[in-house]
Amino acid sequence: MFAYIFKRLLSIIPVLFVVSIVIFLIIHITPGDPAATILGMEATQEQIEALNEELGFNRPIHEQYISWVAGLLQGDLGNSLFMKMPVTEAIAEHVGPTFSLAVIAQVIALVLAIPFGIIASYKRGSATDATLMGMSLFGMAVPSFLLGLLLMLVVGVKLQWLPVAGYAPLEDGLWEHVKYLILPAISLGTIQAALITRMTRSSMLDVLNLNYIKTARAKGMKEWNVLMKHAFRNAFLPILTVIGQTFGTLVTGAVVVETIFNIPGLGQLIMNSIVRRDFVVIQGVVLAVTFMYVMINLLIDLLYGVVDPRVRLDRK
Amino acid sequence: MKLRKWQLPLAALLLSTALVACGDKDSSSTSTNETSQADQAVEYRDTLNIALTAQPPTLDSAQTVSAVALDIAGNIYQQLFQLDKNYEPQPVLAESYEVSEDGKTYTIKLREGVKFHNGNEMTAADVVASMNRWLVTSSRAKALLEGANFTEVDPYTVELTTKTATSDVLILMASQAQFPAIMPKEIVESATAEGFSEYIGTGAYKFQEWKQDQYIHLVRNADYVSLEGDASGFTGEITAPTENLYYHFVTDHSTRIAGVQTGEYDIADSIPIENYDQLASDPNVELQTFPGGTLTAFFNTNEGVLANEEIRQAVLAAFNNEEIMLASFAKPELYALAPGYLNQNQTQWSTEAGAEYYNQADAEKAKKLLAEAGYNGEEITLLTTKDYNEMYTATLVIQEQLRQIGMNVKVETFDFPTWLETKNDRSTWDIFVASTGYQITPAQLLAVTPDWAGLDNETIKAGLAAARAASTPEEAKAEWEKVQTYMYEYASSTVIGHYNGVVAINKDLEGFELFEAPVVWNAKLAK
Repeated sequence: MFAYIFKRLLSIIPVLFVVSIVIFLIIHITPGDPAATILGMEATQEQIEALNEELGFNRPIHEQYISWVAGLLQGDLGNSLFMKMPVTEAIAEHVGPTFSLAVIAQVIALVLAIPFGIIASYKRGSATDATLMGMSLFGMAVPSFLLGLLLMLVVGVKLQWLPVAGYAPLEDGLWEHVKYLILPAISLGTIQAALITRMTRSSMLDVLNLNYIKTARAKGMKEWNVLMKHAFRNAFLPILTVIGQTFGTLVTGAVVVETIFNIPGLGQLIMNSIVRRDFVVIQGVVLAVTFMYVMINLLIDLLYGVVDPRVRLDRK
Repeated sequence: MKLRKWQLPLAALLLSTALVACGDKDSSSTSTNETSQADQAVEYRDTLNIALTAQPPTLDSAQTVSAVALDIAGNIYQQLFQLDKNYEPQPVLAESYEVSEDGKTYTIKLREGVKFHNGNEMTAADVVASMNRWLVTSSRAKALLEGANFTEVDPYTVELTTKTATSDVLILMASQAQFPAIMPKEIVESATAEGFSEYIGTGAYKFQEWKQDQYIHLVRNADYVSLEGDASGFTGEITAPTENLYYHFVTDHSTRIAGVQTGEYDIADSIPIENYDQLASDPNVELQTFPGGTLTAFFNTNEGVLANEEIRQAVLAAFNNEEIMLASFAKPELYALAPGYLNQNQTQWSTEAGAEYYNQADAEKAKKLLAEAGYNGEEITLLTTKDYNEMYTATLVIQEQLRQIGMNVKVETFDFPTWLETKNDRSTWDIFVASTGYQITPAQLLAVTPDWAGLDNETIKAGLAAARAASTPEEAKAEWEKVQTYMYEYASSTVIGHYNGVVAINKDLEGFELFEAPVVWNAKLAK
């Protein structure tokens, strides 16, 4: 097991290396001058050049890359040009809201998706199945920003049940923290819910046709136990994969939702940094997010072994 | 048994959803409490929430023209002189001043007993350090007050010497864009290129906290001693009735609008025109407008097809400004047509000079001019950005108007930072439209700043110098009228129209004033 984890961790290095080169190149090819953006509309050419000199942007690109990687190896992602703080600090400040949002969105997705998926598979071909599948198709089709704006208008502005935007850290109390995240989490979690519902249904259907389920039913086992103890557990592996992937998407894909709901998470950080041409932050965040994505996948792989003892990762 | 390993987290998920649902009920009961308290209406709230469009790059006012930065910094810092609502500079941290006969030396007496937020008293040493830093940091001061210098006379008197006598020295010191904030000498000296370690001024509010990408929190300065006299523009009495000011950064405009409708924000800046009606019909919200600035078209006088003056005149003749403004600002009450480059309310500089070249909408004349100039279907490029809706819309209308007179017009769209950079390469564009806030004096205008659109013209420079050196306001205005007329004759740029900025506020907000910026230091809201 440990050998496996070690191998997987080692394999992250080339991934991060390739990502770092690609992102570095893309950012530096993109037009738009960070100095001009920081100094604003009325800055003189002279001021812009002076700031570029100071920030080191007039050096050859490979030199800039090497000095950035050198810093990276010492755990230094550089300093934000705009916010004038270390990028690691900026990421640490912004990761909390995104993580909370992703967790709540995932909770909402799972609470809806798993029961729906099981019911749909159990009642296969019925009106219930058709309704649930129709809903999930709808859920997949509605873009999260549209759902977000609708929720904001109805639940926030008209009914005034929940705040329309903003964020309160966990220190302000659990409810205070959660209430700002419910609407964005619903808009973000709906697509995931739809996806997991479909996965649960099809995975359950595969299992429900197997002989041991017939055996279980034949020996007079209660239907609930057949479904949950025998079918669902064995159907869970592919579902877990989808959950892992969707959680990764939640962490990385919150950009638009965070902007709409004004949540100071990683998505908003990267969005603002792009507008500000804050190269150093963009590089740092993309790298950090890649790292998280790989780690989540690793975690999911490890969970396979927990869910299904037949899976022994290190013997591969 | 093994089964529970994964059932447990699932149960926890269900439980947390149940908790969330319970909490929901709590929130509705709190809001009922709030309503019943409002009925008594005896006390004022201790916090105002203000939604701005973006996070400022800095609070160092001398460095920036960013409106959001200046809006916030104006609460923390004060200037020697600030503008009243008639755009007249009034002493704020200065007590009085005298000008020498040759007009080159200003002796400024300071108010005594003014305390900085760190408890120290403001003296001449602080003022000299702050003002001299401004002279080299602010690009405006550098350009317009070149060679000027502040020195200390005694602890409560400073002296400003300028190289040439100009009539706009006080107004430059009192302008809001890149304003000279007075701060302690040690802060000025410790400033790096990136700015200050601490934000310490003399204003009615103290800097408390800057949460990156979320908010800036200011608290009332209990030691603040207000000036006397009615509040007027940036001068007069400041009562600071509200303890806390939170400036939230809310980039998404639908979020700002929804926030002001629900009471999340008490003031929301930069309301887009398309949401005007939606908010106007909301009984809890009041919309206020203020002269925002001009939408101006700038022509490339250096390179390309438009380097030919006659073709520029053809373009001017083709412009139907009414059409462009209506498309860009949607509601006639939100814009005005006038050729002047400065604020129409500012009588000192408001002029109709050059009106015959403005809003001609004469396609026949334009076609004739084009033919005379020998225009032969060469492609011209309009540069624009979708980040500013009015700039983009205006560009599309102009494209159509120029097509009507037979020009071959292409539009290139970039995001704002790229637009800014592309604009500086004068081989890439022929026309661009920009919406820019008002300036206080003609010399500060972007339309006459060589770096802006490449207009480096001796006639204009000489005219501006004459306006600045004029001994009376009337004479100065006459000089500026000549410059403005010349700018239209030369067709270096044209004002398309004047637009109003729209700010949405809670309808119960008292003491709020819109003057150049939202002035919140006397604002209060009943509980």
